[in-house]
Amino acid sequence: MVLLKCPVCGGDVQVDDNALPGEVIEHECGALLEVYMKDGKLALRVAEQIGEDWGE
Amino acid sequence: MLVVKAGGRVLQRNFDRLIESVRKVNDKVVFVHGGGDQVTETSKKLGIEPKFVVSPEGIRSRYTTKEELEVFIMVMSAISRHMVERLSTTKRTIAISGADGNAVLAERKKRIMIMDERGKKRIIEGGYTGKITSVNGGLFRQLMDFFDVIVVAPLAYDPTEPTLLNVDGDQMAFALAKELKPDALLLLTDVDGVLVDQKVVERLSPEQAKELSFKIGPGMNRKLLMASETVSSGVRRVIIANGLVDDPISQALLGKGTVVE
Repeated sequence: MVLLKCPVCGGDVQVDDNALPGEVIEHECGALLEVYMKDGKLALRVAEQIGEDWGE
Repeated sequence: MLVVKAGGRVLQRNFDRLIESVRKVNDKVVFVHGGGDQVTETSKKLGIEPKFVVSPEGIRSRYTTKEELEVFIMVMSAISRHMVERLSTTKRTIAISGADGNAVLAERKKRIMIMDERGKKRIIEGGYTGKITSVNGGLFRQLMDFFDVIVVAPLAYDPTEPTLLNVDGDQMAFALAKELKPDALLLLTDVDGVLVDQKVVERLSPEQAKELSFKIGPGMNRKLLMASETVSSGVRRVIIANGLVDDPISQALLGKGTVVE
């Protein structure tokens, strides 16, 4: 596990070592967070809202 | 004027009778076709394995890579041209995609959320599918002065990239119907209509259609929800009917299927 900070509330967020970029985590503060790579390390940012609309 | 949508399975299994049925219509027809199965078949022949993704809500959907978009354009164009080839003996027919005359514009879904193979929610690049943003109604109305049938492939156009995009055929048909306000929108499928307890639901108000959409399976639920919206927007009726029968368009217009009005 990697311990990261929630960019919204500043609280702790436990992230799997093997988490993949794009993975979405729902934090206890209600924020929807996206895992991404920053300088070769896992980091968190607020996940943008993505609407549901699927193709053929 | 009628807007008719037939899925790839109907085209594959009942092409001749469908063409005959279009020939019998004494009105202008905007015909949207599908072809997902044919795209999958051709992709496999070309060694391109189709990729599917699952939304967090459990909806399985085709993931269109750039490579597969090329196959999609090729197969959909071929289907359009075969329809024109067969209809042109008696009907003035033209086939267009969303890019022709900016007929149907869409926005590429740049990022989508999926459930990955480990069962985790993940945001990935969106591929080449799109959400329809506008229909050039003036162009369709002008074309109708010169043609009896306008065949439309489920390919919309994103001018900002610029690229053609794979769009859901049903959504293409609903977007056209909302803009063109036809006498009826017919959705020809491979079942007799909306089934509840193995029986066809014959008639629904837009409110009933919306309510039922939350209780039935994927695929038909979206059709019902969009049918409800389309009738509420001013289209007189949407008919979900079997496209595998003899003369499917006349049968649907006689009310054989589920009529939302």
